[in-house]
Amino acid sequence: MRIGSGLLLCALLGQRTLPAAEPVDYARQVKPLLTKRCYACHGALKSQAGLRLDTAASALKGGDGGPAVEPGQAAESLLIKAITGVDGVRQMPPPGEGERLSVEEVAIVRAWVDQGAAAPADEQPQPDPRTHWAFQRVERPAIPQVHDPAWVRNPIDAFVAAKHERQGLRPTTPAAKGALLRRVSLDLIGLPPTRDELHAFQSDMDEDAYERVVDRLLDSPQYGERWARHWMDVWRYSDWYGRRAVPDVWNSAPQVWRWRDWIVNSLNADKGYDRMVIEMLAADEIAPDDEEAAVATGYIIRNWYALNSHQWMKDMVEHTGKAFLGLTFNCAHCHDHKYDPITQEEYFRLRAVFEPIQVRQDRRPGEPDPGPFQKYEYTILRKVQPLGAVRIFDENFAAETFMYRMGDERDRFADKPPVTPGAPAFLGGDKLAISPVALPPTSYYPGLKPFIKESETAARQATLQAAKAELNNAQQSLVARLARLTEIETQQLAALQTAPAQGTQPPPVDPKLLDRQGSAQAALRPARHAVEVASAHLATEQALAVSLASRIAADIARYCGPVGDPETLARTASRAERMAALRVAEEKRLVAAYAAESARLTTAATPAGAAKDQAAAAQKSTDDQLIAAVQAVDASNQALVAEAATYTPLSPVYPATSTGRRKALAEWIARRDNPLTARVAVNHIWGRHFGKALVETVYDLGINGKRPSHPELLDWLAAELMEPTLVTPPPGAPPLSKGGQGGSGELVSDASSARDATPPNPPFLRGGEEGVLRGGEDAGSWRMKHLHRLIVTSNTYRQGSSAGVTSTGNLAADPDNRWLWRFTPRRVESEVLRDSLLFAAGQLDLKLGGQPFENTEELTSRRRSLYFSVYPEDGGHPKFLELFDAPDPCDCYKRSDSMIPQQALALTNSRLTLNFSRLLGQKLWDEAAALDTGDEARQTAFITGAFERILSRGPTAVEAAACREFLQRQADLFRAEAKDTATAAAAAQGAVAASNEPLIRAGESLIHVLFNHNDFVSIR
Amino acid sequence: MSKFARDEACPCHPVSRRTFLADVGMGFTGLALGAMLQRDGIVRASSEPVWTPPTGQPHFSPRAKSVIWLFFSGGYSHLETFDPKPALTTYEGKTFAETPHPNPLESPLHDKRSRSVVPMKRDVFPTIYPMQVGFKKYGQAGVEVTDWWPHLAGCVDDIAFVRNMWTTDNDHAAENQMHTGRHRLDEVQPSLGAWVDYGLGSLNDNLPQYVVIPGAPRADNRPSIGAYYLGTKHTGVPLPLDPKNPLPYGLRAADMLAEEQANEFELIGKLNGLSAVEYPEDEALRARIRSYELAYRMQRAVPEAVNLAEETAETQQAYGLDKPETKMAGERCLAARRLVERGVRFVQVYPSVYGSWDSHTKLKENHTKLCAGVDQPVAALLKDLKQRGLWDDVVVVFCTEFGRTPGVQTTFSNGAKDGRDHHPHGFTIWFAGAGIKAGTVHGATDELGFHAIEPAHYVTDIHATVLHLLGLDGRRLEVPGRKRLEIDFGKPIAEILA
Repeated sequence: MRIGSGLLLCALLGQRTLPAAEPVDYARQVKPLLTKRCYACHGALKSQAGLRLDTAASALKGGDGGPAVEPGQAAESLLIKAITGVDGVRQMPPPGEGERLSVEEVAIVRAWVDQGAAAPADEQPQPDPRTHWAFQRVERPAIPQVHDPAWVRNPIDAFVAAKHERQGLRPTTPAAKGALLRRVSLDLIGLPPTRDELHAFQSDMDEDAYERVVDRLLDSPQYGERWARHWMDVWRYSDWYGRRAVPDVWNSAPQVWRWRDWIVNSLNADKGYDRMVIEMLAADEIAPDDEEAAVATGYIIRNWYALNSHQWMKDMVEHTGKAFLGLTFNCAHCHDHKYDPITQEEYFRLRAVFEPIQVRQDRRPGEPDPGPFQKYEYTILRKVQPLGAVRIFDENFAAETFMYRMGDERDRFADKPPVTPGAPAFLGGDKLAISPVALPPTSYYPGLKPFIKESETAARQATLQAAKAELNNAQQSLVARLARLTEIETQQLAALQTAPAQGTQPPPVDPKLLDRQGSAQAALRPARHAVEVASAHLATEQALAVSLASRIAADIARYCGPVGDPETLARTASRAERMAALRVAEEKRLVAAYAAESARLTTAATPAGAAKDQAAAAQKSTDDQLIAAVQAVDASNQALVAEAATYTPLSPVYPATSTGRRKALAEWIARRDNPLTARVAVNHIWGRHFGKALVETVYDLGINGKRPSHPELLDWLAAELMEPTLVTPPPGAPPLSKGGQGGSGELVSDASSARDATPPNPPFLRGGEEGVLRGGEDAGSWRMKHLHRLIVTSNTYRQGSSAGVTSTGNLAADPDNRWLWRFTPRRVESEVLRDSLLFAAGQLDLKLGGQPFENTEELTSRRRSLYFSVYPEDGGHPKFLELFDAPDPCDCYKRSDSMIPQQALALTNSRLTLNFSRLLGQKLWDEAAALDTGDEARQTAFITGAFERILSRGPTAVEAAACREFLQRQADLFRAEAKDTATAAAAAQGAVAASNEPLIRAGESLIHVLFNHNDFVSIR
Repeated sequence: MSKFARDEACPCHPVSRRTFLADVGMGFTGLALGAMLQRDGIVRASSEPVWTPPTGQPHFSPRAKSVIWLFFSGGYSHLETFDPKPALTTYEGKTFAETPHPNPLESPLHDKRSRSVVPMKRDVFPTIYPMQVGFKKYGQAGVEVTDWWPHLAGCVDDIAFVRNMWTTDNDHAAENQMHTGRHRLDEVQPSLGAWVDYGLGSLNDNLPQYVVIPGAPRADNRPSIGAYYLGTKHTGVPLPLDPKNPLPYGLRAADMLAEEQANEFELIGKLNGLSAVEYPEDEALRARIRSYELAYRMQRAVPEAVNLAEETAETQQAYGLDKPETKMAGERCLAARRLVERGVRFVQVYPSVYGSWDSHTKLKENHTKLCAGVDQPVAALLKDLKQRGLWDDVVVVFCTEFGRTPGVQTTFSNGAKDGRDHHPHGFTIWFAGAGIKAGTVHGATDELGFHAIEPAHYVTDIHATVLHLLGLDGRRLEVPGRKRLEIDFGKPIAEILA
């Protein structure tokens, strides 16, 4: 019956098959279907049930269940049964593993089988995914020989020229000097050249003039800021967010900016990329005592999510995979990866690396104690804590990671044991060398740091001195009041003595004197009490000072080696602390007793009635407080009796051992033979120099990613990053070679150190007589400045952006410039746009680092855009920058580069451009006015100055004429509209007023136009 | 459809058309530049089968040109609006277990359709809270609507109700989920409006194609209007309906003269044109020249588009602009009509104050007031679209993030027991207009209004329906490297399509 119905269904479906006469083309019609629907489980990646379907032959051969295809007999073929789910065969693909075949698609496969399952004899099986190019160790490729060695300035050019030759392309002419200077300045430091720099470079005819510019730029602190922003994109930098408006911190941390500063500083110091990766993942394990390095773990903290730690773990896995390895681990969250050999279990093994972590909040020198990190509680707001530094530590040594289904952590695999930490086996990550890291005490117990001990001791001393002074004051005050009383009594006595006696009665006392005596008497009570309290407080302070000193002594004995007996000192500290607690309690009792007595006196003095009842109630309350205070003293006395060695530490104490999981992962990522790390890094770097990466899918170098346009170049750059062979001369050194190639030879290869395939005397290395062979002594491994220098000094980079006359064929052959026969112009990033605007106007504040400032300060701040707050909530960017594709802090492996009319509106209508146009306009007029020439010459000077500052070039004659005409027209307009109220009313809030002088105002308007010029917002 | 003259003089046109190829005669608001150039035949189609961004053309014949998406933030009660349940009144005060109906808390659907962001279960309220308002059947279709909707009750024969909606987030991030299809704990996806903007070309180059009135309601609701990996240009553009701030940077600075600005635009065009002569192959430069022309026109077109004073007194009255309680929703609905009339693709409207429908307490008071605020304006919008012949071009979606619990919420320290909690298990939304089968009620919740009865609709079915009406296939919009899941695509709700 069951078979029968299956056959019936087949028959029904069969009616919809193609006419038998119509032959099915396996390669064109069938194979693509199988590729899409079946290969992930029945291909080279996995052959589930022993079955592979990547060739017709393998389908015929079949798997554990026998042949999948019976030629000519679709109804009998397992494959057909599986894709239709008949005859009790489980329908494929299974739920959650992809879309099922449509009726039409089934019909095609069925017809193919019925027609005999023919396939090309030479059909190749799907290659083993492990053989994918990006999964192979980076080997330095040979540098190709090219027809035009004169164009080859360094090996980059050789690789690019080889592609040119293959594609029949010719490189375009070099960029003009000014354009090149502007390009490299924006590229390396994110700011345009100054006029002086422009003039100096244009008049510098030395062969190495450009190289010196590059060195200057790479040495500039602004280099670190510019490239930090790039890496912040990749590493998803975000300031805190969650509920900014409340405020309530749910994601990241308010102190995470220290990680941003660490990136800037690391780049400026040219720290190795490998070291940067290691510090971001595991600074607390590899340099536990280095507070400056510890903030690098901001990379991890950025992903912290208060409400749900699974989310934190998820982001760590996904983005560690994408950022450092160019692998899409996120695809393996719910099932084995469909393209790359990453299993779901390996996804969870990577998660296990991070499972023990937690955030801690450390005090910083010179700052008050921010207290411990505030963990999340459902009903409590997490406050914005700007103080201190945050870093990662392993909180839970024994943390276990469980696998769950379909991305829902509630749905655990009950039958699977917790997974062990690791990385994918196909990269050798299954055997991470994990060993626990014993941390130094100053790391796991920051209270041991000298600055904390010192500042705590100093604070204690200050309060102790204050207590002494207070006692002194109280005593003097009491003495003064006693003296006052004595004085009044003396006066009374004197009055008595002088007054005439009235019979037997003593002479009447002056009532005024009696009053004064009464109040002086009354004043003694609080003064005596003040002395008592001050004495008690001094005792408290002394006890607290002793307590602190004893705790510090006990800490030293316990953590810092053989200084006294730790146990004895701990007991002493414990007792001293309890003694201090007793003193505190006694002081409170004293205060309470006084308050109770005062209340009793008040009650007694109050006449019966409502007021007396109130006073009685107040007295009851003070009596109760006194009872509690007495009990507290008793309790403190009791506590003192106990023998104990516990005392309060000077800071939280964290676990003394870290699991070493992150250290092992980080070191594995940064290994020379990890095939992905360096490729991913150089691909990012290249992409940011040229606007297009060599592998376009910068976060996916796996099988589903794009192929590199220049695979050998990518590998050569990766090899050169890890094991530099070319050496740049130190700045100021004479050029190493002078030759017909015009300044080539700055880069010298050390052939003897090239461990990998050494190319046969590459064209840029012209023998030993000119090239100086030097080892990689000044370009250490993984140094990024070396790579930047190589790239920007290549001829590839120095090309013009115009197609030019010599290369008209190029445009037709390669309109997208995939093969780099010219420099592709592109829009600058949002930050560069604003920074350039401020810089050209002479208003940019180049102060480095520090707390982020609010985006509402968009108009007023003069700092670089890097320092604005950035977070993925509304208001997470300055509005102006947002329109120019400010980075999405959750995902910005590549900046988008949109062109929308709102950008034009922002540039024309924003207060920002208007203000800075006016500031620059006034400044340039002042400069021009200083020229002792006629009006026309001044205008020309103004126009030239404006072009050079804003566009880094002078105007052409046509442009200058258009600008002169514009100045006249605007000036005429302003003259005519001088009484216009709208302009007079000018200043909106934060506005820089326009000049009252028509021609100057016209100049401001011209500046405004130039800030809207395409070339201002472009790198070309 | 476009009311705005495309050929309005723009001063930034001084360079002769023959001088350079820049003037391609088409705009590109919301379109990838590459696609625009391809559309215009500037870039040759590549010989390799490489992925290209959408061409701006629908994938198949569309039923609608644009969308008005009315979102009622906070979660209106399906029970007191369009899915009344008399059983609640019958079993008032009883627990679910005490009714003869299956206990919804024991249904396997219960866990499936509720996922907390914080890994703990949200309280459930098993004590039945009665209906807070009466209801009647209306129209030829005999649709039950509560008494709080006197105006919309008269429109039911134009509406298709979907009463079997469900979502999974049991807190207000469900609002983002409604727009992106993803729970707070899942990877973010672009919002529906962004997909529409990305997939379809412009109907009016002088206006943004995806607008949000009056803007993202709250900072953390940004995903509701976000474009994520589709790029900033597809993010919803806030139109606050404020004459002083019609569009970000949409007004000339107060201390700048109109002619001064016109002269500036002219010189910008001239100088960029000169550059274009030098760099004839620079596509971005040519596009930038064009974008200044568009910007200049947009600066005028946007304030005009949202200038409600141009409407007759009669129309203004119909939308309730003359009454304080209906003024806000009325203005927003009327502006939405003006925008679709001018060719805006996707108008996302928040007719009520952000979060205001969230009725944990005082549900009756709250919903009475809110319904009165939006009932007349929304009904007026429907009638106005019909009257102006826009009915066959525009689809209206009326929706919220989730429904409200049949049980009474009891967690308040002041003892309040007069509201309902969030309810992702079942809720009602409706469609009207282009391509919609009018007078339809599709799907149902169970007798107690708790679970949407299977086959029920996850929120992406709404997205699929909207895209389908616009002639788009969500699968064909997929961006390489941005894997989407089956559930992201949803399925059009066939039963409500005309």
